Amino acid sequence: MNDGVINEVKPGVFCVHLAKALYEREAVFAAAYKFREDFFIRIEPVEETHVGIWFEVKRGQAINEMRDGLGEFCNEVLDQQVRMDLDKRFGHLREAIYEQAFRPINGRG
Amino acid sequence: MLHEDVQLLPFTYRVMPQGFLVVNQAGEYLWLSRSDFDRLLSGNRERMGELYYRFKGKHLVVDDDDEELAVEMLATKLRTRKGYLKAFTSLHMIVATLRCNFRCDYCHASSSDRDRADTDMSWDTAKHVVNLIFESPSPAIKIEFQGGEPLLNWDLVEETIRYAEVVNRFAGRNLEFVICTNLTMVTPEMLTFCKKHRVSLSTSLDGPGQLHDLHRKRRDGGSGYETFRKKLDLTREYLGQDGCSALLTVTRDHLNRLPEVVDHYAELGFNGVFLRSLNPYGYAAANLNDLGYSPGEFLVAYKTALDYIIDMNFRGTPFVEYYAALMLQRILTPFATGFVDLQSPSGAGISGVIYDYNGDVYPADEARMLARTGDRKFCMGNVLDNSYEELFHGRLVQDLVHKSCVEVMPGCATCAYQIYCGADPVRYYAESGDVTGSRPDSGFCQKNKGIIDHIFELLLRNDNRLNNLFWAWITSRNLKDMEL
Repeated sequence: MNDGVINEVKPGVFCVHLAKALYEREAVFAAAYKFREDFFIRIEPVEETHVGIWFEVKRGQAINEMRDGLGEFCNEVLDQQVRMDLDKRFGHLREAIYEQAFRPINGRG
Repeated sequence: MLHEDVQLLPFTYRVMPQGFLVVNQAGEYLWLSRSDFDRLLSGNRERMGELYYRFKGKHLVVDDDDEELAVEMLATKLRTRKGYLKAFTSLHMIVATLRCNFRCDYCHASSSDRDRADTDMSWDTAKHVVNLIFESPSPAIKIEFQGGEPLLNWDLVEETIRYAEVVNRFAGRNLEFVICTNLTMVTPEMLTFCKKHRVSLSTSLDGPGQLHDLHRKRRDGGSGYETFRKKLDLTREYLGQDGCSALLTVTRDHLNRLPEVVDHYAELGFNGVFLRSLNPYGYAAANLNDLGYSPGEFLVAYKTALDYIIDMNFRGTPFVEYYAALMLQRILTPFATGFVDLQSPSGAGISGVIYDYNGDVYPADEARMLARTGDRKFCMGNVLDNSYEELFHGRLVQDLVHKSCVEVMPGCATCAYQIYCGADPVRYYAESGDVTGSRPDSGFCQKNKGIIDHIFELLLRNDNRLNNLFWAWITSRNLKDMEL
């Protein structure tokens, strides 16, 4: 399963390489957060352009299950990045809505 | 390349087998296919085609000229939804005593023996509690007596109610009283008092006799069910059919028998049931191996029971599942639905509070239960030693509020169900040692997400009869009236 993105480092330990140009740090962290129940996870930059996410099984999953899990992780990073991109498009309006919703009503007619 | 000429408004989404569920900032939702979701994300009016009007109607997009108005409208809707925050603490629970004539396997309160009068609340403490309660700015005050079995300290309950009524002559609040009791010790004299002072009762019912008695055990060894039945009839003689509500605790033994429980509730004349899962506190935590189950097991049982209840309604017996009704109200209406255990920020302290028999104050009953097992992390102070400001505006309550806003919590911030859901920091702490908790693996998150998923699946059927039933639940009306 060494395809340049998901690499088996040693038995039971895999590393996922993601391009920093495509994925932001927050998206990687948010995705990894959802997987920490099943894996021990370590995140480190591997070179100037990529970040490495190491996964070690917690409870003796089969390699096939791990592969599925890491595939799910890649999808999750993508999903988180989409949500972040969306937030850049409307996050300022969300803040404005909350600010307005919780503003004291005195003096607003 | 198409350019973005339409401004997207804030939304969250959930990818489900049936498509994309998109939820706007005010909780209004829209189902979209993948291609329609792509059209939404494009931000391009031409690519959206006719969908543009649906998107606009659901406050998912806005033209530049209308942006200010859209923000104003969404803010008003959000403000309405969060209306439960305006009043501050309205539910005030008083532990009249820890003594109880029962010792239930799942008791959250870890009750004490009947002769432990040292665990009764004193009159001096009760007076301090009532004075403090009326310092709350809330226009509605509900005082709920808990235990132990509060009827074992009846004199205090009676005096406290009388005193609260006197104080309320000046305070002018919408005052309500509830006594949570196993009913077995209730007497005609007590019921006469309850009727006169408009006190309602809330009891526990775990199903038919054998199932009810299975984990609800009398300290003297007899069956509690027979007495319960007699006293329920007696209570209704005085307070009417709806003068006493009942609460179910689902243990492992209930999982495959919920339809039987539902039938029993209906047979005894209750209008509905709240399918409430076990909470990991008190004796329940100690007996978790025997009583507990996984969130997945609960969800299977919940869905089976909900389907059974729906079918029962279609067969002509009006009956409500209250948790589904609460969720439906949140999903289908714009109104605020206060439910202390599921709101953002959490209702702990700011919507509900509990006063222990010795005057200690906790933001939630579960926090008191943790204290009983030696962990006093959530003790806000004591009514005899601390002022209202120290108790309710102290660091503990502020910390709970800050750390229980699902809008910014990890795993919740991007969840499509955020506006329908809430946080339970005390439970998170009990489960994981951290008030922020962890998702999506927490039982709390799995259970709520699973139930909301199921409700959306039911709504997606777009079945007229089912929709009528849901609206009947939301509006407390009869299904037949909805079908006219």
